[in-house]
Amino acid sequence: MKNRFKKVLSLALAGVMSVSMLAGCGKGDSADGSASKSGKDSVKIGVLVADVSGEEAIGFRNYYEKYIQENYDVTFDYTDALESAEDEKSAIEKFASKGYDAIISLSSSDRAQQIETCEEYGVYYAIASGVLDEEQYETYKGYEHFVGQIGPSNETEFEAGKAMGEHFKSQGVSKVAIYGAFIPNPMHVYRAAGVIAGLGDTYGGTDDMNGMIGQIFGDQAIDLSKIEGDVEVVAYLQGYGDTTTDELNAAIQKAPDAFLSVGMATTFFAQTLSQNDIQFADIDSFTEMNLDSMTNGTLTYLAGKYSSSIGPVFALVMNAVNGNVIRDNDGNAVSLSQGYLVATDVDSFNQYYVTDNGDTPIYDKESLDSIIGDSVTFENIKTLVESK
Amino acid sequence: MSKGNKLKNSQMLIAILPIVALIVLFIVFCTVVQMNEYRLDMYLKIVFNEAVVLAVVATGAIFIYTLGTFDISLGASTLFAATLGVTVYNKTESLVLMILVLFLAGIVCSLFNSILASIFNIPAFVTTVAMMSVLSAIASQIITTDGGALGGISIPSSVVEPYTGVGFKILLLGLYFGICYFIFQHTKTGRRMKYIGGNPLCAGLTGIKANKYTIIAFVMAGIGVGLGAFLTLTYTPSVTTQTASSIGMNIFIAIVFGGMPISGGPRSKIYAALVGGFSYMLLNDILEILIDSSAAYGITQVISAVFFLAVVYVTSMNYRSQMLPR
Repeated sequence: MKNRFKKVLSLALAGVMSVSMLAGCGKGDSADGSASKSGKDSVKIGVLVADVSGEEAIGFRNYYEKYIQENYDVTFDYTDALESAEDEKSAIEKFASKGYDAIISLSSSDRAQQIETCEEYGVYYAIASGVLDEEQYETYKGYEHFVGQIGPSNETEFEAGKAMGEHFKSQGVSKVAIYGAFIPNPMHVYRAAGVIAGLGDTYGGTDDMNGMIGQIFGDQAIDLSKIEGDVEVVAYLQGYGDTTTDELNAAIQKAPDAFLSVGMATTFFAQTLSQNDIQFADIDSFTEMNLDSMTNGTLTYLAGKYSSSIGPVFALVMNAVNGNVIRDNDGNAVSLSQGYLVATDVDSFNQYYVTDNGDTPIYDKESLDSIIGDSVTFENIKTLVESK
Repeated sequence: MSKGNKLKNSQMLIAILPIVALIVLFIVFCTVVQMNEYRLDMYLKIVFNEAVVLAVVATGAIFIYTLGTFDISLGASTLFAATLGVTVYNKTESLVLMILVLFLAGIVCSLFNSILASIFNIPAFVTTVAMMSVLSAIASQIITTDGGALGGISIPSSVVEPYTGVGFKILLLGLYFGICYFIFQHTKTGRRMKYIGGNPLCAGLTGIKANKYTIIAFVMAGIGVGLGAFLTLTYTPSVTTQTASSIGMNIFIAIVFGGMPISGGPRSKIYAALVGGFSYMLLNDILEILIDSSAAYGITQVISAVFFLAVVYVTSMNYRSQMLPR
């Protein structure tokens, strides 16, 4: 009995001590205030993320944490990978409870709920990846704390996929494999539909964007039996799980002329495709890993965003926090679409990669300073975004 | 002190440990929140909203676990019920109908499991794993087809606005827990369930029909699922494919944290889900505040797992006595 009680007591004490120790070395603001980003007047921005490991997500994070945070009096706090609308709402509430000034969203389980929650807590909100659909934008464009959205629209996603398909068709490919990434993620659905349209094929008898995406959402995948056209799609895979390697090997066995991916191919498949000497294309980011694949000749087409493309959203948020809530000409939240840049060789890749890397991002301090300030208007932001 | 008294004291000590742990975690949580400059009132509300759905669904699940079986599909059932509820609301714009569908879907899913388990004698592990896949797939199909580019389906937030208050949720939780407590502690049904869980052979020999109580247990869990789905919608009036995805496994953890043996039987406690659910969420939030996940990815899961093992070890001391439970 005595021994048992001691064991219980020691376990309980160990638990309490562990938590106390953690409390001592926690991630809270440092007591000595040595880091300027923890300063009292520093702007605090929470970032909602669903993807924490993708090339694009890492590039975005490095830009905010390693460049913006060093050049502005701002602190970024990232969430863990958010999986659901409940996770997103809870994360916003936690940021609000610590007095965060704004939320930048890279997570899209329920954007409407995100905006409503930010409005409820009086926290500024902006979207840095993807955009609201037209109906949602109409609903929320007048919300006081909804600052805006700058990123590729759904139509832009479709066009990016279409351009990829057209590129390979013009190269004379006759059979391809398609990787649908994480369909039914809307962004990937639009891109995949675009790829099929670009190849000159139809899906379920149509090459119209809305007709195709409606069917893909219903199918929750690309149904190969629905694809008709000159370029044959010999294999299709999506997601990443236990069977993906087998599916990829099966696709390789069919000897496609190209492997067309709508996202994250480098992360998952670059090595295997390289070993089998199959060229691939992707819609991703200008990152080091993609540069390696392009240098070794496997990645032959990349439609990408550069990591600093989320700079203007930061500017919108900073302006709002500093009292200059920028509205478009109709008095609504800003909504601007950003296109993709395309690289088909190392030279064109480097043109975007090198200029956006490290201390000299495309949206560097100088260009951001031109759109951060009390007198900045919607036209200033629009002009800069359209010029890049 | 006699050996019997010592044993009694030991069992009592271990029995109250989960409640003590909840109180300790609550104190640590309040301290950590204050130290890190969060607003305590807001954070308490967040924790409550995170824990209430788990506590409700897990309280219903206690009936199943008491029988010595379990249901891993409760998270998927919650998703399925919420999906049907939202779909029905969007077609009829009737809140009453939506609530009816939520409960009906929860109960029907549970009943189906119980019929497979009790009448066809298929192990609950097999049936509920299969049901988890089927229900998730059906819900995903509805969500992605109806939700399209939005990635989810939703009802207007104004519909559930009157039910979002913490007071209302406490009332619902209290009401459901009160009913469950009464059935579990003060009725023949509750006692027989514990008997079946402790020794199904003896229970059968004394004329207790296990099938009947299996069905009752699953119906109680189904009501919990319906209520959980409703509470989920009051928090976020939208359903995505990931809604309630963690509940299935968290129920298991919550029940263990609450000090109940997974084997069920006479040592089962109806309050285990409530205590364990809130303890688990408090622990999660404490770790989330203290540990920068980007610096040490997965460390919170490791620490949670260590706590989990420690709790199982401590509570299992109670089961290793050589005397029958009393």
